[in-house]
Amino acid sequence: MNLRYVFKELTHQKRRTIISILGLSIGIALFVILNALSLAYHEAARAPLKEVGADITVQRPGNVPQELVGAVFPCSAVTIGEEEIEDIKAIPGIRGMGKAVLLWIFDPNRAWIVLGIEQNNPVGPSILKNFITEGRYLETGKPEVLVEAAYARQFGIRLGDHVNVAGRSYPVVGLIDASHASKIAVANLYLPLAEAQAIAAASKNLQSVSPFAGEDVNLLFIRADQDRITTVAAAIKGILGEKATIATPESFLKLLGSLFALSDKFTLAASIIAMIIAILVAFKTMAGNVAERAREIGVMKAVGWTHRNVTMQLLAESVIQGFAAGVLGLLIAQAAAFALGFMTVNIPIPWEMSPTPHFLPGGGDPLFKTLRLPVHIPWSLAAFALLLSVIIGGLTGALLGRHISKIKPSEVLRHE
Amino acid sequence: MNNKSDILVGVDLTKTYGELAVVKGVSLAVRAGEFVSLVGKSGCGKTTLLSILSGLEHPTHGQAFLTGKEITGASEDELALFRRENVGFIFQSFNLIPTLSAWENVALPLFPIQMSEAERRRRATELLDQMELAHRLEHLPAALSGGEKQRVAIARALINNPKIVFADEPTGNLDTATGDAIMAILNQLHRRKGMTILMVTHEPELAKTADRVLHMQDGEMLS
Ligand SMILES: Nc1ncnc2c1ncn2[C@@H]1O[C@H](COP(=O)(O)OP(=O)(O)OP(=O)(O)O)[C@@H](O)[C@H]1O
Ligand SMILES: [Mg+2]
Repeated sequence: MNLRYVFKELTHQKRRTIISILGLSIGIALFVILNALSLAYHEAARAPLKEVGADITVQRPGNVPQELVGAVFPCSAVTIGEEEIEDIKAIPGIRGMGKAVLLWIFDPNRAWIVLGIEQNNPVGPSILKNFITEGRYLETGKPEVLVEAAYARQFGIRLGDHVNVAGRSYPVVGLIDASHASKIAVANLYLPLAEAQAIAAASKNLQSVSPFAGEDVNLLFIRADQDRITTVAAAIKGILGEKATIATPESFLKLLGSLFALSDKFTLAASIIAMIIAILVAFKTMAGNVAERAREIGVMKAVGWTHRNVTMQLLAESVIQGFAAGVLGLLIAQAAAFALGFMTVNIPIPWEMSPTPHFLPGGGDPLFKTLRLPVHIPWSLAAFALLLSVIIGGLTGALLGRHISKIKPSEVLRHE
Repeated sequence: MNNKSDILVGVDLTKTYGELAVVKGVSLAVRAGEFVSLVGKSGCGKTTLLSILSGLEHPTHGQAFLTGKEITGASEDELALFRRENVGFIFQSFNLIPTLSAWENVALPLFPIQMSEAERRRRATELLDQMELAHRLEHLPAALSGGEKQRVAIARALINNPKIVFADEPTGNLDTATGDAIMAILNQLHRRKGMTILMVTHEPELAKTADRVLHMQDGEMLS
């Protein structure tokens, strides 16, 4: 193989070289961008849960009492017993757990969505502490509440007021603007988990449909090993029953409904098609190249090049073109990724995960988590694409061996 | 017929394409240092015979010996290596590689050989100098005249220090004056360097300058 000859050939036949590099690079770019998009949707689907520091949320649907008075559970989240919680904790692959109690409280003069939280557990809605607009966040062990700013405005609640919740009085220590916080596990009123548990346990109306004891909850946040989320989710279903609502990145992916999100198979099939097109283009131009250069190849053979010498020469040409196409393809893909990064995705949040009674403002409205599509090309994908491109170059070069061996050196004696 | 000083021997060579016999039982011998020309009407099988004798093609029957080695049974790659070591070619249509410069074309047979770039260039330059083309080293074939192209081709034929040069109508694409100049170079090669040359031509005038003229007719050798 003679590099000087390789570069002379590639630079003197500019049009041919450009066409074959461009053809292959478009295939490579398509391959990279398809996979980057698929990764982006997967990452986007992780976003709603990531905000509450979790990979999985767990609820159990049940019944709502006939009469909406006092504290009740939404039909989408009823009691998860203490023993069940212990069983879930023991599932292999679980790395952390957060608990919460979500209540609808119908007081004589107003209705609240109330969430009892573990104020310092990173797995769960403790991210709220970043969205305090007035006052301070909850202090450990104190019976006090945070009120959603919009709600407080509507009902004239001010910092320092005492509010009556299911017959108990709490000081308002902070106002919170949750509109920028997570879209799941949102409420009008936040208080320590123990208070919410006490309210739930004391509500006869609630107990009548969904028995609830001291340490029970109705909302779980779980952090799990990334590659075991599916098996952990299945194990939780095994404990809570088939009806349990288990939200995972995968379940959000399904809600997204995008082709890329919907099916890895689609991405795979599209990538393969892109690659086949790339291979065909590369092969076609390089085969055309060999046909065009039949005489030249005949001369090389006549003056003493072996089949291997000739093949290696053309192989080097196609491998170098493959490499160039890979680099160009990555540049194209990078540009496309940048452009696609301006796209926004609206991830629908299922009502069960942020249940608002229908008669409250905003109740039943579809809720979305909106974010920029996080498109980026990981190094591993880039390296793989480049390798693939070089391999395609090599493969077409190798496939041309047969065409090359058909060229007889004696043909060069026949003048055109 | 097999003589020690015979560098090229053909025995009962026959080439058929399907039903068509193009070369019919030709036997011949060329001594080392001899300049032999091969003449005959167009289509009588001269080129075919030359390609068999030079190891470019296999005969249908018969044997060919080059430098004492039988080449008729060799594989394509063995023949390629053999040509690389022993044979130089000059073609009617020059057959230069259009993307390579003059000196690179001359060095083409050396590319597959382990050798420094500088050494290849040195040897090519030396030969081009002998062809009075020292000022055309970097020119592409498209920028050369017919006569210059053929001189580059002659330099290429000589780069591997061949034991025999095969030339198929080397002046066929050139005007008379330029053709004469090329013939002068070949004659000089023969006289001064003792190069063995087998040249195909159908111009009797050119054939006469050779030591010996072989006549072919309808695929047969006339004695
Ligand atoms: N590959 C082939 N298949 C079939 N017939 C062929 C093939 N190669 C050559 N021939 C035929 O063999 C005959 C001899 O061809 P060849 O080229 O040897 O003649 P030539 O004497 O060199 O003619 P010219 O002086 O015109 O070059 C011709 O009739 C030609 O058509
Ligand atoms: Mg001929």
